[in-house]
Amino acid sequence: MRDEEIDRILGAEEDILPSSGFHASVMEAVHREATTPPPIPFPWKRAWPACAAAALALVGSPVLLVQSGGIGPSFFESMRPVATSVGAPWIALAAAVTVGSLLLSRRFAGERY
Amino acid sequence: MSDDEDREIVRMVLAGDDAAFGRIVSRWQGPLVSLAYRFTRDAGRAEDLAQESFLRAYRTLGSWRQDAAFSTWLFALAMNLFRSELRRIPPRTVSIEDVGEPRDGRSETPAVEEADRDRAVRAAVAALPAKYREAMIVFYFHRSDVAGTAKTLRIPEGTVKARLHRGRELLRRKLTR
Repeated sequence: MRDEEIDRILGAEEDILPSSGFHASVMEAVHREATTPPPIPFPWKRAWPACAAAALALVGSPVLLVQSGGIGPSFFESMRPVATSVGAPWIALAAAVTVGSLLLSRRFAGERY
Repeated sequence: MSDDEDREIVRMVLAGDDAAFGRIVSRWQGPLVSLAYRFTRDAGRAEDLAQESFLRAYRTLGSWRQDAAFSTWLFALAMNLFRSELRRIPPRTVSIEDVGEPRDGRSETPAVEEADRDRAVRAAVAALPAKYREAMIVFYFHRSDVAGTAKTLRIPEGTVKARLHRGRELLRRKLTR
């Protein structure tokens, strides 16, 4: 097939007309959009001190614990009976399986969409 | 309606006259639905995509810098939306390897043969890799205007020409009897 023939066929395609209700449907959507109040913005001004405090605590607590000698081999030794009594290994395994299956399903979904 | 009128309508909408947007819809609904249809081959989905494009245009009307025609901005915006939506839910097409070659028309009437060939060419275009398909569809939508195609796709004219060349080459290879 020659280029001219491809040009002729593709160039001759007729435009289609929107259905009779299309205009009204678009304007209804525009009206809805215009009358919907804008989403409430996240209150960063109020939230940032709390976020900063949380971050500081997250980073600072382990540092303070290590510096004060609170965390060491003896600390982990003392925690072992507690971890065993609450079934920590099973909890960790369940969490790992959950995260694994979540990642796997997201990956499958990502391949499709 | 001229570019100046488009500017005036946009100014009115931005000033709060939402009803004026209806004139934009009236003017561009045909081209936008047609462009969407060329990608989807489904009138219902084409209207959905065109409606979403108008809504997105309404939301971002203030970002039209007015240094280009309103239609250029609108088509480029719509093209972006079509691209992401068609990637999310692809239209039903067949692989380019599976597109049937036009049948030998010796035993058919010329009209049937022609319709058959047109269908085969359009199916082959739909089965092209996305960047060649986009270039070919938008180019013929713009009545073979390379500059208009480049603006709609937001790529240089040279890239449009290269993609058209490669797209036609793929079509020729598939459709040569």
